[in-house]
Amino acid sequence: MIPSRLSALAALVALAVVPWVLARHQLSLLTDLLIAGLFAMSLDLIMGYTGMVSFGHAAYFGLGAYASALVLLHFAQPVPVALLAGALLAGAVAVPVGWFSTRATGIYFAMLTLAFAQFLYTVAYKWRDLTGGSDGIAGVPKTPLFWGGPSLASSRAFYFLVAACVVLSLFVCRAVVRSPFGRALQAIRENERRFTSLGRDPRPFKLVVFVIAAVFAGLAGALFAPFRGFASPEVMFWVFSGQGLMMVIMGGIGTLVGPVLGAMLFILIQEVLSSYTEHWMIFTGVVFVLIVIFLPGGLVGTARRLGARG
Amino acid sequence: MTPLLETRGPTPLLETRGLGRAFGALQAVAGVSLAVQPMELRAVIGPNGAGKTTLFHLISGLLAPTAGHVLFRGDDVTALAAPARCRRGISRTFQITSIFPELSVLENVRIAVQLKIGDNFRLLGGRAVLEASEQRARDSLRLLGLDDRADELASTLPHGDQRLLEIAMAAAQEPALLLLDEPTQGLSPEDTAATVAVIRQVARERKLTIILVEHDMDVVFDLADRISVLHFGQLIAEGTAAEIRANAEVQKAYLGGLD
Amino acid sequence: MANLLEQLLNALALAGLLFLVSAGLSLVFGILRVVNFAHGVFYMLGAYLGFTTVALSGWFWPALVVVPPVVGVLGALLESSTLRFIYRRPPIYQLLLTFGLALILEESIRVLYGPTAKGVEPPPLLQGAIDLGGVLYPRYRLFLVVLGCTVGVAVWLFLSRTRAGLVIRAVAQNSEMADCLGADVARVRTLVFGAACALAGLGGVAAAPMTTAYLGMGINVIVDAFVVVVIGGLGSIGGSMAGSLIVGAAQTWGAFYLPETAMVIMYAVMGAILVFRPWGLFGEEE
Ligand SMILES: Nc1ncnc2c1ncn2[C@@H]1O[C@H](COP(=O)(O)OP(=O)(O)O)[C@@H](O)[C@H]1O
Ligand SMILES: [Mg+2]
Repeated sequence: MIPSRLSALAALVALAVVPWVLARHQLSLLTDLLIAGLFAMSLDLIMGYTGMVSFGHAAYFGLGAYASALVLLHFAQPVPVALLAGALLAGAVAVPVGWFSTRATGIYFAMLTLAFAQFLYTVAYKWRDLTGGSDGIAGVPKTPLFWGGPSLASSRAFYFLVAACVVLSLFVCRAVVRSPFGRALQAIRENERRFTSLGRDPRPFKLVVFVIAAVFAGLAGALFAPFRGFASPEVMFWVFSGQGLMMVIMGGIGTLVGPVLGAMLFILIQEVLSSYTEHWMIFTGVVFVLIVIFLPGGLVGTARRLGARG
Repeated sequence: MTPLLETRGPTPLLETRGLGRAFGALQAVAGVSLAVQPMELRAVIGPNGAGKTTLFHLISGLLAPTAGHVLFRGDDVTALAAPARCRRGISRTFQITSIFPELSVLENVRIAVQLKIGDNFRLLGGRAVLEASEQRARDSLRLLGLDDRADELASTLPHGDQRLLEIAMAAAQEPALLLLDEPTQGLSPEDTAATVAVIRQVARERKLTIILVEHDMDVVFDLADRISVLHFGQLIAEGTAAEIRANAEVQKAYLGGLD
Repeated sequence: MANLLEQLLNALALAGLLFLVSAGLSLVFGILRVVNFAHGVFYMLGAYLGFTTVALSGWFWPALVVVPPVVGVLGALLESSTLRFIYRRPPIYQLLLTFGLALILEESIRVLYGPTAKGVEPPPLLQGAIDLGGVLYPRYRLFLVVLGCTVGVAVWLFLSRTRAGLVIRAVAQNSEMADCLGADVARVRTLVFGAACALAGLGGVAAAPMTTAYLGMGINVIVDAFVVVVIGGLGSIGGSMAGSLIVGAAQTWGAFYLPETAMVIMYAVMGAILVFRPWGLFGEEE
């Protein structure tokens, strides 16, 4: 308990001081990593804690990104309004999708979430008037924190916004998985039939956590759009959904912090690979296969195993 | 008028009327009518495949019947799904141990309590719910003699203790009716004796009505107030231990076949 | 009337292609308990290899014969070099592994062939249209209908009339029976995986003259195939057939009456079926 509190404190301090240590492009990379981390963490809520493997989580990231981009571009609202819009839209779309998908379990659930996500992707791709089609929406501005308030245009300011969102989300998610609701989720993951015969229908629980996960993924997407200045169909693509699963596995499933680290490592590997070869996606695939075969517990799991051994 | 009422007797806690379940052409349970009185310990016996587990699924609501009705405390609960029946007071265990393997022993029982009584959609906080359910869970673990293993992972318990854990989960829900599907399956003679003692104690302390599926005839004759015999899905006999021992049809269908 | 016939044939042609893909997906799930995410990429690979074969030989027919076995062998090799080691893990790991394979294959194709779509000429015999009692219908699509039906019947005959097929079906319907196969399980898995990939490859070659070979055709077809097996039920060939027909019809009529939102029809059908049978029309309740 004490060591983990200490390392949490250390991580917070590190997050607070790095902007004065890192160069601008490094800080911007770190911001990217944190956004991906938030996305992976939200996926861990359903995947790690409830045992529902969604193959379409990128859709909610994408919805968040589009909502945020549109709000910033057309209504020129402060960034937090865009974040709220992104989270809400993702959550709202997750209600019907979750309602249908949670009727199925296991692999059927995975296939359904993918099918719905590709549907949303196609909508984003084809609804040119609203989304700009394959070009996406460019020129998304970084509006201030509130009118007359601090500007978020500098990379340092935006980094702090992202870091604050990620840390806050992490605390909220931790509280959720430790609440009576979160404990129920873990029981569902362990044995759904047992859960049912102990007095509750698991479906409403699954739907609620699916929507919560979508809200946080939407928040990540809503941060992404002003940070990168655009939203495009790529962020809703199946590849990104699969990468999300990989980030969770790499970091350690069912640990919340693990997936954040997994996401950071995953993006870093991609960065390194892409600086050597333009065909880095192939190598990403290879890394993928190797990790699945050789490191099933992910970073946190493997570290724990080594710790237990040593 | 009074004699008529008397012959009816008190309302049974559980009653099934012409209960049946078919799987395609196979009639797994056929026209079973039985009545279990409050505080009774009823054993259901019958050869493998007789339909005992299916009967439990029908009573607990995991399977829908293809015929007949289930009444609990005089109310028709046939249309209720398993979770709702559990909340009304029917808890059960499974023939194949069904627990939450990667949760702690305590958490297995605690979640059973929480699901029965708790504010399950509390997303943040909820300390009070967690503490109240933990208290009851610890009581139940103590009753079954598992309190010193509370912090271990359920999957690491030996088979016998896992069977007990499942009973602890059900008992912690403080049900009116407890269904135990072969609680001593796969246990050594010593463990069987211990489990029998524990079941008797649970029944007494919690004032429970229990229906129990059991293969070990010694256990059945020892524990049960009344015995129901299933054969090919049909109820072929019902009575006290002495009556069942003496029943020729049961001898032929079941008891004889075992020796 | 003429319109109806045309659309019926269109639906059948599409259903034939979908069946080639979803039957393999379903069989692999039945035997290996793995949902092969890379299955669509094998279909895509079939299309590109078809393009290469036609470009080299100048003929279409050899492609139809040569490409499926090549794709099948590649699939079998990949199964025995990666998937084989992780069957004991939870299903998510197999799904992720095949996801990794899909990334590798898709990107390799992008590297080898470049980003532009590759058109494939249908053979002269199948070019142009044919007069079906007053309706002019593209010959190639009619060929797809025939091919789909032929392969459908062939697969069905193989599974229902041959010993090997019987074993496969038995195992597909009851995973516990996989143990009864004893030492042969590994070989059966590899063979089934390879055969499924070959079927997907055949689908890809056949599709190429109609759709061209393009990046992204893999994911498109796998999503449709997922919808097919969600509707029909995993592990059931009859389910794949029924699901393919339903999706083929939904897409064809959707495209005709609601061109902008054709997909919606498919999803509406799937949603309706899910509400009533979450495990698919022919699938077994878990
Ligand atoms: N889900 C099911 N589908 C088909 N048949 C079943 C199913 N469950 C049980 N049966 C059949 O019903 C009969 C009764 O089974 P069961 O109730 O488990 O018997 P018991 O518990 O008395 O051994 C058996 O013949 C069994 O094969
Ligand atoms: Mg039984």
